[in-house]
Amino acid sequence: MTTRAQFLDRIRAEMGKTRGSFPSRVSERPARPVEAADIIRRQLAERWPDTLERFRTEFERVGGVFHRVATASDIPRAVGAIARERDARDLVAWHAAGIGADVEAGLVSEGLAVRAVSLGATDAERRELRAASATAALGLTGVDLAIAEMGTMVLRSGAGRPRSTSLLPPCHVAVFDPSVLVESLEQAGVFLEAWHAEGGDWGAMINFITGPSRTADIELTLTRGVHGPKEVHAVFVEGGLRG
Amino acid sequence: MTAGDPETGPGFPGDRRASGGLGAMSGPPVSRVAFMVTCLGDLFYPEVGVRIVRLLRGLGVTVEFPAGQTCCGMPLFNSGYHADATDVARRTIALFKDAEAVVVPSGSCAFMVKHEYPSLFTDPAERRDADALAAKTWELSQFLVRGLGRTRFRSEIRGRIAYHDSCHLLRGLHESESPRAILRSLEGAEFVELPASDECCGFGGSFSVRLPEVSTAILDRKLKNLEASGADCLVACDAGCLMQMRGGLGRRGSRLRALHLAEVLAPNE
Amino acid sequence: MSEPELATPFRERTGRALGDRFLQQALDIATTKFIVLRREAFENLPEGDRLRDRAREIKEATLQQLDRHLDRLIDEIERRGGHVHFATTAEEARAIVLGIARRTGARTAVKAKSMATEEIHLNEALEAAGVAPIETDLGEYIIQLAHERPSHIIAPAIHKTRGQVAELFARELRRPGLSDDPEILTRVAREELREKFLAADLGITGANFAVAETGSVVLVTNEGNGRMSTSLPRVHIAVMGVEKVIPSMTDLVVFLAILARSATGQRLSVYTTLVQGPKRAAELEGPDEFHLVLLDNGRIPQIAGPLREALSCLRCGACLNVCPVYRQIGGHAYGYTYPGPIGILLTAMLNGPTSVKDLAHASSLCGACADACPVRIDIPRMLVTLRKEVNEQRIAPWTERVAFTILGKVLTRPALYRLARSFGRIAQRPFARDGAIRRVPLAFGEWTRSRDLPAVAPRTFQEQWAELERERAR
Repeated sequence: MTTRAQFLDRIRAEMGKTRGSFPSRVSERPARPVEAADIIRRQLAERWPDTLERFRTEFERVGGVFHRVATASDIPRAVGAIARERDARDLVAWHAAGIGADVEAGLVSEGLAVRAVSLGATDAERRELRAASATAALGLTGVDLAIAEMGTMVLRSGAGRPRSTSLLPPCHVAVFDPSVLVESLEQAGVFLEAWHAEGGDWGAMINFITGPSRTADIELTLTRGVHGPKEVHAVFVEGGLRG
Repeated sequence: MTAGDPETGPGFPGDRRASGGLGAMSGPPVSRVAFMVTCLGDLFYPEVGVRIVRLLRGLGVTVEFPAGQTCCGMPLFNSGYHADATDVARRTIALFKDAEAVVVPSGSCAFMVKHEYPSLFTDPAERRDADALAAKTWELSQFLVRGLGRTRFRSEIRGRIAYHDSCHLLRGLHESESPRAILRSLEGAEFVELPASDECCGFGGSFSVRLPEVSTAILDRKLKNLEASGADCLVACDAGCLMQMRGGLGRRGSRLRALHLAEVLAPNE
Repeated sequence: MSEPELATPFRERTGRALGDRFLQQALDIATTKFIVLRREAFENLPEGDRLRDRAREIKEATLQQLDRHLDRLIDEIERRGGHVHFATTAEEARAIVLGIARRTGARTAVKAKSMATEEIHLNEALEAAGVAPIETDLGEYIIQLAHERPSHIIAPAIHKTRGQVAELFARELRRPGLSDDPEILTRVAREELREKFLAADLGITGANFAVAETGSVVLVTNEGNGRMSTSLPRVHIAVMGVEKVIPSMTDLVVFLAILARSATGQRLSVYTTLVQGPKRAAELEGPDEFHLVLLDNGRIPQIAGPLREALSCLRCGACLNVCPVYRQIGGHAYGYTYPGPIGILLTAMLNGPTSVKDLAHASSLCGACADACPVRIDIPRMLVTLRKEVNEQRIAPWTERVAFTILGKVLTRPALYRLARSFGRIAQRPFARDGAIRRVPLAFGEWTRSRDLPAVAPRTFQEQWAELERERAR
């Protein structure tokens, strides 16, 4: 078997034979990414309605369904309406910390059977979650970034934030507020740098989600929901989440 | 050297972006050119060369014709016979060494001279000569529009004219506007856009006989687009494309014609 | 490993493709659609050209310090509890994957579209070792059920009709009387594959990028199969060519902005998944083990080789869609894993110049590929370089080499040129009529079978020049 040293040595030997094709440099990264991300956030805080409008246009263009509510207490009603329209009852939800609001009781009073994920990670919990996620009709998550330029939602995995909640149920409902809106992919890049610089106890996966799962593999006919959700809803909470 | 500098090499590797606009190159007008007829132009389409000479003279340009011309060497180069291609290039460079400017009736040959010749030489003196030839070589339509600043021409042709972008002129020399500007200026003729005018005609030099079935299938697509355009005549600025497209039209017994740009321009003044 | 298609000569393979009426129609519709979508996507991106220049520059800059970036990537993955393996050859890569499968007692593997695992022929090896590989990209799944090979990098089953897919599903999945509605066929695949995802031991994927600074493997998919394969099975193995590493997240977003636009005309594919090692302690889901297999397989020698530029390829497929040859013959006729213009270069990289003896000429050098390439790879130039290599290594037939040597002599000696002209005039006499030749023997016969050939003019330009000179004097 080839070892790391052997492998890299061969690469170095080849690199030694050439000066490359042309002078070039990699991207300049923000020197203090956490601060850079904060600056972006502050700048955007003033003009979020424009950013939201762009997000909405793009999100709908890729097949997403946009909803807008005033405060976090309105979330259960919005989700309940989505569920009723689809005759759906079973819902898996991220832990309140991941969504930014405790909506469990409200969802239950909307008549939903809610499986809210806990922050712990035991084997029993794991098995149970898998079974629940595989059969749930709805998956409810928070959003860590909403990119207006392409109508994209970015979700980080972690404690109480399973990867499959936005993947296995046929209908994904994501809740977000002005604080996660960014304008462009370029700005999202600064946040990715910042998250990396901050470290912290996060999960091992970041997902960019741009509309419902789709394929065009049969005669280029666009078909939704091949493996992931057939429907993606974004519920915007104008009054803000997380307190 | 009195000519404005024609467009030189791409600034970025693999950058074959077509450039828009019609800016004439700066510099005093060119009054004397050497004509590079090319092998196909010499052997198969001499009437094109004759018309070009008369056209240029009508525009007040003195035309020289260095004797002993053969071919730019592109067939050798593209098939990977670079030593042989270099010998041909060396000869061509010597033949045109004293020319003020060089005019070529085919985009592909112009591309060969302007972009491939310099890459063939490592000797500094030879490289310098290759660069010098590259800098003063013009494809015909570019020379007329950007070199002479002429955009109004007359034609004996009536009816609808479409234009085929030959690959080397479009993606090699980034030229799409000059031929169109000329064709649009023709009174009595109507310029129509050819659908997918930027797609290859399937010629590709030796490709056309190595994979004749594929080459012809690509040609079929081009000729179908020609029919769809409603044009009576298709103009190109490359003898290779013309050989391919005329060959296809002839075999089909089509009434449509494929002509070189020079063949639709009336020599005058 | 042998490629079944290669028993037939290349030209015959192209003939077969040209004669397949459905394939012709499917290729025309698909490639035209992709061309239009791509053009529209870039028209809506004013900074598109700048981003493409940047992307290419990042790739080149990364190659110039490839060892350092790989070193960092390996450290970051290991720091997160992942494992990195090194495969010089395809055989070694297969052995690594099989070793992991054996150690973890795996019986099934779900695979998310990965050209790298196609390239190393992993499926055959898995099957032989008793591990059932299941392709989960819908197109790949169809191809696998049909025991075929992908015909396009991003649309593997574009050569199949809905009717053919319905028949295939009815037979292979025992669902008689299945409708040919793509919606229904897609639902059937979802049901079948959902069970496989939930039960699979291994998730095997490729990687579109790997970010060195953060140890992230990046997967871009539209269906969600990449997410499934990296979230549900207990072991995730990613197989990736060494050239896929990029330095930072700031670099990543540059590529994301142009990749989907070039491939499908989307601004972003539906899912971009960043995987940073195995699942964390606090996570309820994700693999217990994460493995990255770094693949050489002919790439490393090209760092200083003539195909270096091809190491920047993003596998977007844009060059396939615009290639006049691909549009006529489709992917299978090429005979190797990677079709189209870039595929010829990658085939040469993986299998050496002999493998592209014919393929190197499967291009009119029209340059449409270089124009469409998001990182501006000068594919035509490298095809010419390959042709040169094929000649210099005497892989090209001697008859051809002699013919071109003679041509070289003729074009450097005016006397020979004139002699050839005279010879042409004599030789064409029996065939020429009204300046056109409709049928001739030998090499030009390949031309005249479908096209007229112009006859050598009665008076060539050079023969008329003296007269033209006199005309001026008048």
